[in-house]
This record gives sequence, C-alpha cells and structure tokens, in this order.
Amino acid sequence: MSMVEVKNLIKQYKHTKIRSVDDISFKVEEGEFFAFLGPNGAGKTTTISILSTILSKTSGEVIISGFDVQKEARKVREKIGIIFQKPSLDVHLTAEQNIRFHAALYGMCGYRLSFKLMPKAYRQKVLELAEIVGIADVLFKPIKKLSGGMQRKLEIVRSLIHMPDVLFLDEPTQGLDAVSRRSLWEYINQVRNQFGTTVFLTTHYIDEAENVDKVCVINHGKIAFCQSPEVMKQNFLRQELMVDSVNREQLTSELSDLGLDYTINRLVVVPCQGSVQELILKIKTPLSVLKISEPTLEDAYVEFLKKNGGIE
Amino acid sequence: MKNVLVLQRRKSKLHRELGTIFAIFAREVTLLFKSPAFIGMSIAMPMVMMGMVGGNLMENMTGGLNFEFGKFMLVGMLVNMLFVTTTQSMTTLVDDNDSNFNEEMLVSPISRYSLAIGKILGGSFGAIFSMLGTLIAGLVLKVTLPLSRWFLILSLSPLMCLSAGAVAMLVIGMIKNKKAANYAVMLITMPQMFLCGAIIPIKSTTGLLKILSRCLPMTYCLDLVRAVVYHDSAEHDSVVMFNPLVNCVAIVVVTLVCLIIGTYFYAESEKNK
Ligand SMILES: Nc1ncnc2c1ncn2[C@@H]1O[C@H](COP(=O)(O)OP(=O)(O)OP(=O)(O)O)[C@@H](O)[C@H]1O
Ligand SMILES: [Mg+2]
Repeated sequence: MSMVEVKNLIKQYKHTKIRSVDDISFKVEEGEFFAFLGPNGAGKTTTISILSTILSKTSGEVIISGFDVQKEARKVREKIGIIFQKPSLDVHLTAEQNIRFHAALYGMCGYRLSFKLMPKAYRQKVLELAEIVGIADVLFKPIKKLSGGMQRKLEIVRSLIHMPDVLFLDEPTQGLDAVSRRSLWEYINQVRNQFGTTVFLTTHYIDEAENVDKVCVINHGKIAFCQSPEVMKQNFLRQELMVDSVNREQLTSELSDLGLDYTINRLVVVPCQGSVQELILKIKTPLSVLKISEPTLEDAYVEFLKKNGGIE
Repeated sequence: MKNVLVLQRRKSKLHRELGTIFAIFAREVTLLFKSPAFIGMSIAMPMVMMGMVGGNLMENMTGGLNFEFGKFMLVGMLVNMLFVTTTQSMTTLVDDNDSNFNEEMLVSPISRYSLAIGKILGGSFGAIFSMLGTLIAGLVLKVTLPLSRWFLILSLSPLMCLSAGAVAMLVIGMIKNKKAANYAVMLITMPQMFLCGAIIPIKSTTGLLKILSRCLPMTYCLDLVRAVVYHDSAEHDSVVMFNPLVNCVAIVVVTLVCLIIGTYFYAESEKNK
C-alpha cells in the first residue's frame, strides 16, 4: 500500500500570482525512506504542510495511509508525526513540559501537573529519547535556556513520542552538530527498522539522503526528478579518474591526444564516459597518483539543478 | 542500543478529548503562574475600576434608583472582570501563532473544539484573581455578599468564561497581529461593559442599544448572576430582567454559535493561506 499518494497537487497561496506547488504527483510506499529535495523556495515546506493537513490545497488529491487529507484530516493526523521547519515549541514551558503536552494531545497519557506524577512508561520513554539525542541534562530547563540545536533535538524527541506511521521531517538536522546528526539518524533508522515507519525527509544536507529509497527533486513547484539515488547519480554524473604525474605536461598532452576532457584542480581530473578500467589502460605516462572518485548524491543533485535551470 | 520503548494510546475518544482539554487548560494555568504581573493586574484592575468609576457613581448619580447600587455594581463588576480577563487571555492565540506553537496543536489529532474550549477555560483561570480583586474592592466600599452567593457565582463561572471566551475567539481568532489583538480586546470589552449593564442599568434601554445588548452573552450572564444574588430580595424585580432559565438558554445558544463560528475561523484562517 502507498503510505503517501499525491496526485496533481496544486497550491497557490492567497494574493500571489504564481503556484508554489504546481501540479505534482508522487507516491511513497509503506516503510519507504523518501527524500524530498530542492532549492530554497522550491515548495517543499508547502507540500509537507498540505500533506500534514495544516494547509489547504488549491486542487489535487492527497491520500495519507489511505485517508484523504481534506475529508479525513483527523484520521490522517492520528497517523503522522512532524518536525516543522520553523521551531514550534512553547518557549514558556520547560523542555519536558513540551513533551508532556504533546503526549497528552496524542492521547498517550493524561497530563499531570508534574513529571514525577506521569506514568512510568512515559517517564522512561522521555528519558530514553533525551539520552539518545543528548538533551538529558536540560530536560527540565525552560526552552529559553536551551541552545538552538538543543531545541531542535527536543522537537525530534517530541515527534517520536507517539510512534507515527509516517514521519515528516522538514530539515530536521538544521543547526545540529555532526555528532548529534549522526546519533539522530542512527535512532531514526532504528525506529524505521523496528516499526517500519515511513520517513518523508526534506534536507539541504544532501548526504543525509544518500541511503534513502527514493529521491524526488522539486524545483519551482514542479517535480523535476523522482528515482532512486543510484539512478540519479548514474543519470547525472560519471565516475571520475583523478591522476597526476611527476611530468604533468606529458600527462596532459597525452590526454589531449587521446581526445579526453580533463580539468586541473589539485590533481588532473578526467571524467569517465565508459569503463574506468579501459580509461586507465589507455594512459601510458607513469602516474604518481591514481584515484577513482565516486560521485556523491550531492554532486549529482547540484549537477542536476544546474542543468535544469534551478541554480546558477 | 536497546529496543525502542512504546507508549500505548488511549482507546476512548471522549477520554482523549477530555485529556486534551485538561492538558491545554493546564498549560494556560502554568503560563499564568509564570507571569505574576498579569495576576497582579487581574487583582488590581477591578479595584481601580470599582474604586474610581463605582465610587463616583455611587456618590453622585444613583439618587433615583430603587435598589442599592453598590451591590448591583459589585455583581456587574464581578462578571465584567471575568469577561475582561478571559478576553485578554485569548490574545495568547496570537502569541501561539507567532511562536508557531499553533501548528503543533493544529496538527494533533484532536477536535478543534477541544482546543478552543481548553484554551478558553485555561485562559479564564486568571479570572479567579479578578474575582478576588472585586471581593477586596467590595470590602473596601463596604459592599458584600453572603459566602453562599459567592460559591453559587463561582459555580456559574465556567459557563460564563466559556461564553466570554467564545466571543473573544470569534474576534481574536482571526487576528495575526499582537497590536491589533490588543485593540480588539478593547473593542470587545469596553462596549460590553456598558451595553450589557455591568455598571449602568440597562433595563429601560431601547432601540439599537437594546438589540446589541441582546446579542451579547454577557447581558445574560450578568442577569443570571443577578437573579442568583437577588433571588429572595425585594429589589429582584427592579434589577433582574429575565427568567434564569431564559438566561441559561440564551447563554448556551449564543456561546455555542460564537464557539462554532470562532473555532471555525480560528482553524480555517490558519489553513487557508
Ligand atoms: N504563507 C505564504 N504566503 C505566500 N507565499 C508563500 C507562503 N509561504 C511560502 N510561500 C512561497 O511559496 C514558495 C515555496 O515556499 P516553501 O516554503 O514551500 O519553500 P521550501 O522549498 O520549503 O524552501 P526552503 O528550502 O527555503 O525551506 C516560495 O516562493 C514562497 O515565497
Ligand atoms: Mg522549507
């Protein structure tokens, strides 16, 4: 079953002339790890807001977990969890009070006036999650006293308290340090493995999408590409050979004679059209350096956007 | 890493909605206690109002009345302050919008009405302090009520708060701007105070003012409370306008209408951008 099904979705904000989301369609299967990428202003947050029922659409159809976001909004809300791009914490409460409030809204447990009075399962869960993302020691401090990254981590803990079927993450790791990012992804992967949670991610850290099942690129409100990351890499980038020689001039003139393109950075970089092995065999100049560089998803993504007029 | 712990969801829908209302109520109360200035103002405001407006009126303008004005005003001020405090606290809707906390609430699987009711009840909790202020002011002006009447009024207060909040919700729920919201509070509370008969009797009012007063739930709340306070007194007929049952029905109907429209606007204005 598709967990998320979007058909011809269009969104035009009030008092604007252009469509922020312009007739997009895609599907996310159950348990899939889905990356929704695109430059600033592409329409990612707009799409997520519609999928999570907090923004109305102009036209089109959106089904989440079998329920229509407009007609059965409440059933959809039962199924989803979300980390908004903009922080949505109550800054007057403590970190734990924010989580407690959330747990009560999602019917996990009643709201008691202090943490100690909350059910044991809740307390354990909060402490466990706080430990994982590393905010255990600020759990009882007011939000105002938490750093930006800590607030982000708190939102992550909050979104996972009710174990949603679909988790929407709108740039979840913005502002997190490298260690926290890694432990967060470890945890999200663990949750995915254990519960088969579908994850819908937008991020500007393209490396986070390296292991996803599907990448959709949205640009100017339209889906520009929707495939696995491997296909994206193959389609838009080749492997590169990075070589150097004690006699660099001899090397470059040989490359020219062979009719091969190259660029010189620190090393001589030769884009690989076919097999790397064949290319290496052609070069006779003694090499002092030989490396093969695999394209990253980020390279492919940037290349893709350049070709499709997204960014300069 | 050990296995991820799972919390179980509650089954009963009603239980969940009540839990939500309580959670939102508790949040508002928590916020209230974090702002002692607001509490202080809630106590001081009725004292200032009663002391200045009431004191002057009592001494200068009430010669021709055939009931005791002090008591009339005490009850009026009590209900008025309850409405003012509740209306005032509804401006936090705008704060929630600024901090994006609204989205956290709106994306959760609970009835929009539970959100609204929790918010209103929580916000009106501060009204208890304004009652305290009114009580003190009454003592100073030597106007008092028997304790049993106070409890009766207290037990009516959640209904009154709901109707006050519903009216406020109707107006403030759509406003996205703190300054505008503050003006909206004035816009609601000032006319209400004079139209509904909090301080100035409206029993003989006619025309447009009469029509307006009949549209506002505070008119019925005031009258209901006065019916309670005056029920065995000789002044009853000169003070009370309607049968308590009429008042109750009117309060419930007007509150429901305001609540439904207000909640709809509040939820929809967020959605339809
Ligand atoms: N409330 C709004 N009213 C009018 N236009 C809006 C509104 N919110 C967003 N937009 C416009 O819609 C377009 C898409 O915005 P959106 O926030 O979805 O982009 P995004 O892909 O999430 O970008 P980013 O990576 O910067 O978060 C932008 O052109 C933006 O200006
Ligand atoms: Mg965005």
